[in-house]
Amino acid sequence: MALAEVQKVQILAYSGMKMELLSLLQEEGFIQIESANFEELGLKNSLPEVSHIDLLLHRLSHAIDYLSRWEEKGFVKKLFGQKLQLPRQEREKELGFDYKPLLDMIEKLEADKNDVLSHIKFLEKEKEFLRPLEGLDLPVKSVKPTEATEILLGSLPLSRLEEFQKLIDEKALWHQVIWRKKRKVYILLIFLKSDKTSFEQVLKELNFNPLYLTEPILNRANEQDRVEHIIEKIGKEIEKMREKIEVLEGEEQRSSVHREKLMLIYDVLLNEREKLLSSRLLGKTERVFYLEGWICSSDIKKLKSKLLPYSEFIEIYFRLPHPDEDPPVILENPKAGKPFEIITKLYGLPHRRSFDPTIALAPFFFLFVGLTVSEAGYGLLVTLFSLLYIKLAKPKGGLLQFLKLLSILGISTIILGTLVGGWFGFPIRRLMVLDPLQDPLSFLILCLALGFIQVWFGTLLRMISQIKNRDYLQAIFVQGGWLILLPSLVLYGVIKQSLWGIISLVGAAGIVFFASPSRNPLARFFGGLYRLYDISRYLADILSYTRLLALGLATSVIAMVVNTLCKSALGIPWFGWLFAAMIFVGGHLFNLGISFLGGFVHSMRLQFVEFFSKFFESGGKPFTPFELESKYVEFI
Amino acid sequence: MELGLTLAILGGAFAVILGGIGSAIGVGLAGQASSGVMSEDPEKFGSLLLLVALPGTQGIYGFLSAFLVILKLGLTGGSLASPTIFQGWQILIACLPVAFTGLVSGIHQGKVCASGVYMVAKQPKDLMKPVIMAALVETYAVLGLLITILLLNGIALKT
Repeated sequence: MALAEVQKVQILAYSGMKMELLSLLQEEGFIQIESANFEELGLKNSLPEVSHIDLLLHRLSHAIDYLSRWEEKGFVKKLFGQKLQLPRQEREKELGFDYKPLLDMIEKLEADKNDVLSHIKFLEKEKEFLRPLEGLDLPVKSVKPTEATEILLGSLPLSRLEEFQKLIDEKALWHQVIWRKKRKVYILLIFLKSDKTSFEQVLKELNFNPLYLTEPILNRANEQDRVEHIIEKIGKEIEKMREKIEVLEGEEQRSSVHREKLMLIYDVLLNEREKLLSSRLLGKTERVFYLEGWICSSDIKKLKSKLLPYSEFIEIYFRLPHPDEDPPVILENPKAGKPFEIITKLYGLPHRRSFDPTIALAPFFFLFVGLTVSEAGYGLLVTLFSLLYIKLAKPKGGLLQFLKLLSILGISTIILGTLVGGWFGFPIRRLMVLDPLQDPLSFLILCLALGFIQVWFGTLLRMISQIKNRDYLQAIFVQGGWLILLPSLVLYGVIKQSLWGIISLVGAAGIVFFASPSRNPLARFFGGLYRLYDISRYLADILSYTRLLALGLATSVIAMVVNTLCKSALGIPWFGWLFAAMIFVGGHLFNLGISFLGGFVHSMRLQFVEFFSKFFESGGKPFTPFELESKYVEFI
Repeated sequence: MELGLTLAILGGAFAVILGGIGSAIGVGLAGQASSGVMSEDPEKFGSLLLLVALPGTQGIYGFLSAFLVILKLGLTGGSLASPTIFQGWQILIACLPVAFTGLVSGIHQGKVCASGVYMVAKQPKDLMKPVIMAALVETYAVLGLLITILLLNGIALKT
């Protein structure tokens, strides 16, 4: 239950080897580097520039993303896929590869492709524009005004066609309908130049929309080409552009073999950047640099041996933290308890004064999740799946711990599910010790008893931590008082012997006389009496554990519901078994999901609200060592 | 006799309806919030789904209480129970805790989850914290369910 001891480490070394040393520290990840106190020590600091690396990283990640569409995909591969691996000592070799031309090429490919694509878009718009005029059987070049006449192409809403017709008849104009659509008519008109102004006004009133052939269209046309020829030409051009894109994509696909290389380089550069950023925290004189940080005591030996080859150029000092310093916190637990650290970390790391509650909460959490899920079949599935995932995908870090936690909780669910629940909604009566559906009251008492034990244990832990902090009076009389009062009161209530009543009064006396810090005896007495009112909080806390029963029952009843539905589905002729199987699998998977979620979250709440509130003090800073980071690659 | 049965069925219906309304509103609130976040960051679908699904439990609690009523009355088949009018009222009243706690806590849990969604949008690593906050609200639906189950269990019907 202890926190790992953390020591301050100070390194003085020849500045020529600064980067080499930082690389080594980064590989090993022992030290959390802190900013050196420049002013007090009279040191200078350096601010190396990282923006050029930032730019490269940005370009690299863009190229990697861009090429990602050529990556082989598959659900199984995605789920169980492993990261690329790179030996940590050889990472700097990767930078020997001249990746910049590759990057330029990929960027050029992308730019070219975008150009071609936007050209295609432009051509398609032109084609769209010409489509209604396809029936025009004049060469395009001849659609132009002569000395006396004006020629006009345009569209007219179908509803105005009659009026237009009237106008035409009145003025005896030459016109031709080129194309009739649902709501529009496309028309070619020829009229005298002298009529132009008055005529245009009338056309405007008829909602006539003139169309003009653009420069690029006219340029594309020969003397004899009609609109349909131009559309054909544009179509051919689009075809050609599409071929070009295929060529470009082929090149893309070929260059996507370098994607993994780019990923390696990205991660190596990322760490170069981190190294430069950390070097800003170092102090320096003309010849020497100074590094300050925190290290876990158990790593000191390893660090020393790693630095042995450099011993001529290096001075290292270690010391315990001063009382006014705030070192980071490292949790230290045996292997079986490690997965439960997730829960502690979620609430917040313990303060340096407090201690690691992981081992204390682990057995309770184990039990509570088992009771709230209480379905052995689900436990088996969860354990199998998490073990399989660990085996196949080989996850690291937080995910690995979480999966381990899941597999442990699955085992708890198998055990408790067999004892008080069932297997996929079918209870095995021979192995059951208690059926919460038949006898909920006994189960309720069991839950309250578990709650009582945890709350009492929490109070005991508070007593221990107060003793550690030399607060003996509070520890022995107040917490001790509660520790006596609570069980004796319960015993008095159950067996009604006056002995237990007297013992509980002794406990209460300790609280009444010592709980209040006041020096005035009267104020002290009443203050203490008031603190006795905390018993209502203890009561509420213990009652909160009844949720274990409710959630456990919810799982069993839903499992039962699923099975009942299956049974009804079996009655359907011919396909009954199929429906039944679908309901069975889907229903139980659904129930597994919600019951594990509920079990996890509510068991966690019991730790945080009911248990931690008794003794735990959070507020520690996490230990974040200077180490290799990665986005795509795993350093081995 | 028939009135007793009707009242009992009404009780089960109340549990499903009110719990379902609470969950539907709650999930709706969280769902709207999460769609807003996903429009900026579609990758968050998985983690937001958890928060959106969380207020759904009240509806399930109502559903399973109603199912207990159905089993008690033998409506799934077999011999139909014939509760007296008083027993019918008793079953109806026994269903009220889960119905009303489900209705109110579902809505409020939805609000907590919706603000949790905004939190996850900014702090993706702290997913579990809003989940725990939402579970604090759910406590009262769980307690309502517990009492409903205990009450239903306590009512003895002669078949």
